[in-house]
Amino acid sequence: MADVKLNNIKKSYGNVNILHGIDLDIKHGEFVVLVGASGCGKSTLLRLIAGLDEITEGELQIGSELVNDLPPAKRGVAMVFQSYALYPHMNVLKNMSYGLKIAGKDKAFIRKKVQQAAKTLHIDHLLERLPRELSGGQRQRVAIGRAIVRDPKVFLFDEPLSNLDAALRVQTRVEIGKLHQELGATIIYVTHDQTEAMTLGDKIVVMNQGRVEQCGTPLELYQHPITEFVAGFIGSPKMNFIAAKVQSIEADHLVLRLSNGAITKAFVDVTSCNLDDDVTLGIRPENLSEDSDLGERISASVSLVEQLGEASYLYLTLSDATEMVMRTSGESTTTIGETIDISFNAESAHVFNADGLALKRHRAGNTKSPAELARLKAIA
Amino acid sequence: MNFALPMKHNRGKALVTHAVLMTYTLIALFPIFVVIINSFKTRKAIFNDPLALPTPETFSLVGFEEVLLRSEFGLFFSNSLIVSVVSIFFVLLFGAMIAWALTEYSFKGNMLIGILVAMGIMIPIRLGTVSILDLMSSLHLVNTLWALILVYIAQGLPLAVYILSEFIKQVPKELKEAARCDGVGEIKIFFTIIVPLIRPAMATVAVFTMIPIWNDLWFPLILAPSDGNQTITLGVQQFIGQYVTDWNSVLASLTLAIVPVLILYIIFSRQLIRGLTSGAVK
Amino acid sequence: MTTIRAKKAFPWHIVFFLGPGLLIYLTVSVYPLLDTLRLSLYNEEMNGDLTFTGLSNFSKLLFDVVWSDPFWNATWNNLKFFVVHMLVQNPIGLLLAVLLSSPKLRMRNSYRTLIFLPTMLSVVIVGFVWQLLLSPLWGITENLMWDIGLGNYFDAWLGKESSALFTLSLISVWQFVGLPMMLIYAALLGIPDELIDASVVDGSSAWQTFYHIKLPLIMPTIGMVSILTFVANFNAFELIYTVKGALAGPNFATDIMGTLFYRTFFGFQLQQGSLTMGAAVATLMFLVILVGVALYLFLFQRRVQRFAL
Repeated sequence: MADVKLNNIKKSYGNVNILHGIDLDIKHGEFVVLVGASGCGKSTLLRLIAGLDEITEGELQIGSELVNDLPPAKRGVAMVFQSYALYPHMNVLKNMSYGLKIAGKDKAFIRKKVQQAAKTLHIDHLLERLPRELSGGQRQRVAIGRAIVRDPKVFLFDEPLSNLDAALRVQTRVEIGKLHQELGATIIYVTHDQTEAMTLGDKIVVMNQGRVEQCGTPLELYQHPITEFVAGFIGSPKMNFIAAKVQSIEADHLVLRLSNGAITKAFVDVTSCNLDDDVTLGIRPENLSEDSDLGERISASVSLVEQLGEASYLYLTLSDATEMVMRTSGESTTTIGETIDISFNAESAHVFNADGLALKRHRAGNTKSPAELARLKAIA
Repeated sequence: MNFALPMKHNRGKALVTHAVLMTYTLIALFPIFVVIINSFKTRKAIFNDPLALPTPETFSLVGFEEVLLRSEFGLFFSNSLIVSVVSIFFVLLFGAMIAWALTEYSFKGNMLIGILVAMGIMIPIRLGTVSILDLMSSLHLVNTLWALILVYIAQGLPLAVYILSEFIKQVPKELKEAARCDGVGEIKIFFTIIVPLIRPAMATVAVFTMIPIWNDLWFPLILAPSDGNQTITLGVQQFIGQYVTDWNSVLASLTLAIVPVLILYIIFSRQLIRGLTSGAVK
Repeated sequence: MTTIRAKKAFPWHIVFFLGPGLLIYLTVSVYPLLDTLRLSLYNEEMNGDLTFTGLSNFSKLLFDVVWSDPFWNATWNNLKFFVVHMLVQNPIGLLLAVLLSSPKLRMRNSYRTLIFLPTMLSVVIVGFVWQLLLSPLWGITENLMWDIGLGNYFDAWLGKESSALFTLSLISVWQFVGLPMMLIYAALLGIPDELIDASVVDGSSAWQTFYHIKLPLIMPTIGMVSILTFVANFNAFELIYTVKGALAGPNFATDIMGTLFYRTFFGFQLQQGSLTMGAAVATLMFLVILVGVALYLFLFQRRVQRFAL
C-alpha cells in the first residue's frame, strides 16, 4: 500500500514562505489533482513530494516510510514533466530505459519492461526515434512510458497537457484517466485547468497562496465550495458574484437585498448571520434562467451573446453595472441589446460572508437543472 | 557523490565547490596582484619581500617616473585608443550594413558572400601578412595608424557580421514592412529602425572587437613599429626589452599597461560576459 | 486593360550596404591571403624579381634539411603546445564551468569575472608577468615552493630546453582558461532544468547526470572550443616572441609555426628574410588550419548533432 501522507509541510526560500503548512491524506490508488492559479504553490508541493526540493518543515510519508531525506528514486515516485523533459540525445527506447539502467537492472528485464509499457501506450513502433522526430502527443506518451517502466508507487504529473493543442488535450486527458484505471496506481496531478481537475480527479485539492483552500471530490467542490475562492475557481463559466446585504433572517433561509435593489431568498445556514451584514451572493451561470419564475425576477440587459450550439452564454449587465454570465439553451433567440428578466432557484444560491467563507447550504445543491425545475413546475 | 541525503551532502559539496573556485581565482589573480604591488615599492623591497604590500618605508614611484621619462607612454596609449576606437566604429557600421544586406535581401551572390565572410571567422588574417605588408607599402601606409586600422576592420568584420546577423534576424518583420508601406527608403529603414534595435548586440561586438585589437602585437610589430606610431602593447614590449634589468621600470610599465584594461574590464565585464553567455557566439 | 509593370530598378541600396565593408574585407583580408598562396609558388631573386618555381619552396621546407629541420621542429612543438591546451586548459575550463553552474552558488558572478580576467590582458603583458614570476633572480616562485615544501623541485623552467615549451604552454593555459569556461558555462545554462530534474527522478547521481545527460548535450560546445583552441594555437606568436624572442630559444625548443613564419619572412641574425619562403610557411599554416577545420566540420560536427533544447 502506498498511501501518501503530508503532515504540516512547509517550504520557504530564505524569508519567503511559499507553502504554509500543507496537510493531505492520499489513499493508495487515488487520483488526486492539485489545482490553483499560477504561483499558488501547487508545483512547489509536487516538487517536494518528488524530492526535487528540500522540505523546510513537516513530514512526508510514502507507504509507511518517512521519505523527507530520501532521493526521488528511492521514494518510489516517477514524474511526468510539463515540457516532457525527454533526453534529446537518446531515442525513445533509451529514454524509457534510462532509469532502469541507472538502477542496474539487467538488459533482458529492461527490454521486457520497455516493450510492455510501449505496447500499453501504443508507441512500440517509435522506439528507435529521437524525441525531436515525434509529435507532441507522442512525446507525451513517451514521457508517461518513462514513468511507467519503473513501477513507481506514486505517479506525479506536472501540468502534462499544457503543451498540447485543444483536441489532443481532451484525447490525452481521457487516456490518462483510462491509464489510471489500468494501473491502479496513486497519481498526484498538478494543473491550473479546472476542467482537467474535475474530469480526472477522485479528489481535488484547491490551493491558494500556499494553503489548501479546500479538498474534496469534484462534486463536493462544485456543490459545496467552502470559500468564495473555490466557488469562483471551480465551474466554467465562473460563478457570478453579486454584492448583497442581509435584509431579514428566517428559520431556514436568508432574505438578501442585492446591489441592484432586487430582493431574493437564499437557503443557507443562518446561524452565523446578523441583520445588515455585507455578504456576497454566488450563483452559477447554469442556475440562471430567462423568462421563468424560479424566484424574484431581475432585469438585465444583454451585452454579448456567445453561441456554442448546445448552449448559449449571455453576458448581462444589471442596473447597477454588475456583470453576470448566464448559460441558456442553444435555441435561445435573445439578442444583444435586449433587456430580459432572469431568475434563479433560491436553493441553488451560495452565500459568502465578508471574510469570503461560505454559509453552509442545506441541500446537495441543485440536483435538478432550472430547465427541469421549470418543466416540473409547469406540470404542477 | 550521491544525491542521497540532499541536505547534509549539499553543504559539503558547496564547500568543495567554493574551495576549488576560490583556489582557481587566486591562481588567476595572484600574478597580476604581485606585479601591481611591487611596482609601488623600492628596488630593495621588491627583492627582500616580494609578497608584502608597499609600506610607507618601502613605497616608491621611481619606476613610474622612469617609465614616463624615458618612454612616450601617453602617446602609445593614445595611439592604441585611436586605432581601437576608429576600427570599432567602422567594424560596427560596415558589419551591421553587411549583416543587414545579407539577411534582408536575396540577390545573386548572397550565399557566396556569406560563406566568404564566414570563412574569415576561422582563418586568421595573419596568414596574409606577407601580402598585407606589400599592399600597405604600395599604398604608402606603412608606419601609419591607418594601416593598422584597415587591417583591424578587415579582421573584425566576419565575427561582427555573424553576431549582428543573428540579431537582425530577430527584428520583427512587421516593423520593416510598416516602414516600407509608409514609403521609407531602405537606407533610412536601416539607420532609423534596425540600428537602434540592435544597439545591445553592437555593444557586445564592440567589446569582442576591442580586446584583440588592444592586445595585438603582430601587426604593430610589422606594420607600424617606428617611433611615434607604436601601440601600447608594442610600446611596452619594446620598452621592457630595452630595460630588462631595471625592475622598477619593468614592473611600473606592466602596471601601466594592465590598469587601464582592468578598469575597462570592470566597467564592461557585464556586457562582455552577457555576450559570451547569451549564446550570441556559437 | 494591360497593367504597366514598373521596371525593377537596379538595387543600388544593396551596393551601398555591402560596398564599403566588402571592399576593405576583400582588399585587406581575402586578397592578401590569396596573394600569399600565389607568392608561395615564386622565388625572389636578388634584384627583387619574382620567378615562378612551382612547388619548390614547399619541397625545400619539407625535405631540405636546412629548412625542414626547423619546419618539422616548429610543427612538432606547435602540436605539443596544442595538446597541452587540450589536456589541461579545456578540462580545467570544463571543471570550472560545471562548478560555476552548480545551483544556488553564491558569488557566482565574482568568480566568473575574476577567473576570466587574465584572458583580457595582452599576451605580451602576461608573458612578461610570468617571466618575472618564474625568474630565479627574483625568486618569488622559488620561495613559495620552499614554503610548501617543494623547494627542491624549483628550476629555471623557462630557460631549459626540456621544460621551456611546456612551461610556456601552461602560461598560455593560465591566461585563456576563461574562454572554454565561459562558453561551456553558457552551454550548461542552456540545458533546461526539467531535463536535469527528470534525470534525478530517474535515479541518477550528480555524476551520472553529468556523464549521461549534460556531457552529451554540451558536446557541440566542447567541439567548438576545441577547434577555436586549434586555430588559436597554430596561429600563436606573441607569447613565445615576448618571452623567448624571435629565436624561440633555448635552441629553438619553443619555436612554433608563428615564430618560424616571422623569422622566415623578416630574417634573423645571418639569414636573410624571404618574402616567398615566408609566404610558403604561411601557406602551410593555412593548410594545417584548413585541414583542422575540415576535420572538425566533417568528422565531429556531423556526428555530434546539436539538439534543440
